[in-house]
Amino acid sequence: MIAREDTLGERSMMDDQAAIERCKAGDKEAFRHIVEHYQREAIGHAIAILGNREDAMDAVQEAFIDCFQALDRVDLTRRFYPWFYVILRNRCYKLASRRNKREMSSSDETEILAPAASVQPEETMLLEHAMLELPAEDCELITLRHLDGLSYQELAERLEVPQGTIMSRLHHARKRLRDKLARLSFNGFSGD
Amino acid sequence: MTKVDCESVCRSAMASEDGYVSDLSAEQVEAHLAECSNCRTEVRQLRTLANLLDGQKRRPRTESVWEHVEQHLPEALPTWSGSRVWRAFVVLGLFLFGYRFVEMIPDRHFGILFKLVPILLVIAAFSYLRENPFKINSQLTLEGSETK
Repeated sequence: MIAREDTLGERSMMDDQAAIERCKAGDKEAFRHIVEHYQREAIGHAIAILGNREDAMDAVQEAFIDCFQALDRVDLTRRFYPWFYVILRNRCYKLASRRNKREMSSSDETEILAPAASVQPEETMLLEHAMLELPAEDCELITLRHLDGLSYQELAERLEVPQGTIMSRLHHARKRLRDKLARLSFNGFSGD
Repeated sequence: MTKVDCESVCRSAMASEDGYVSDLSAEQVEAHLAECSNCRTEVRQLRTLANLLDGQKRRPRTESVWEHVEQHLPEALPTWSGSRVWRAFVVLGLFLFGYRFVEMIPDRHFGILFKLVPILLVIAAFSYLRENPFKINSQLTLEGSETK
């Protein structure tokens, strides 16, 4: 079962609209509610692009500051997070372009994937390692599709490309990931 | 019309599992897979991978960025309403109109710096408004105002 990103929070669009209206009136406390509600999701998305927690935190912080300054441009009839994601994504890729190489976390824990009872911790670690070795765009696309469960239409809107491009990119990203897992002798991909 | 080859068949097979209808019909895909063992292996591996990924969840995060964000928030929101932006362009247009009149005064030579004034003004205006004059914007919306 794919986890829907909508289920990550109970906050409704109406709550966001009210908070944004209050922010526009100068209420920073209302912005704090927005930040605290979306920051965890944003950090997860930023790690998928940047490959490590430290850079992801920097990008998320900068993205929220950009977001605050652009709040009067937000379309209140649409959901907040997809709009914010465009800002966050720009920040992440700007930061990534300043770094010559995508630096992965040196931690022994996974940064993107949660430990699952059905999967050995070593396998989760190996899977994440292979994902982080992918180009940032591939890792981003795979996590949005498989961890957040976005449809092709939602991915196309989020990444500002046609759905046919999503199909093609996702296919190549999966193939690259499959090849990396095979090289790492991951269970189920090594012998074929 | 998409050509029916191994690459497009595997791509379409995986896309249909994701709920996306590609250019190839299910019959075309099935017919090719029935004949091509390489594609059957490829699709089986990619299905296994997709199932493995679907079974994963994002690691819950506990970090907070609010303290840092709060320190760097401006005191007040900038009020870049559409009317204000357009007003800036109207003022710029009027100034350039006036500039042209001054320029047309006969027997007056104001030098090279005077000729650079309109260019510098336009650059300054676009920088001030943080607009990219070269961005193709087919929706006729101000840069940054489009929402996804």
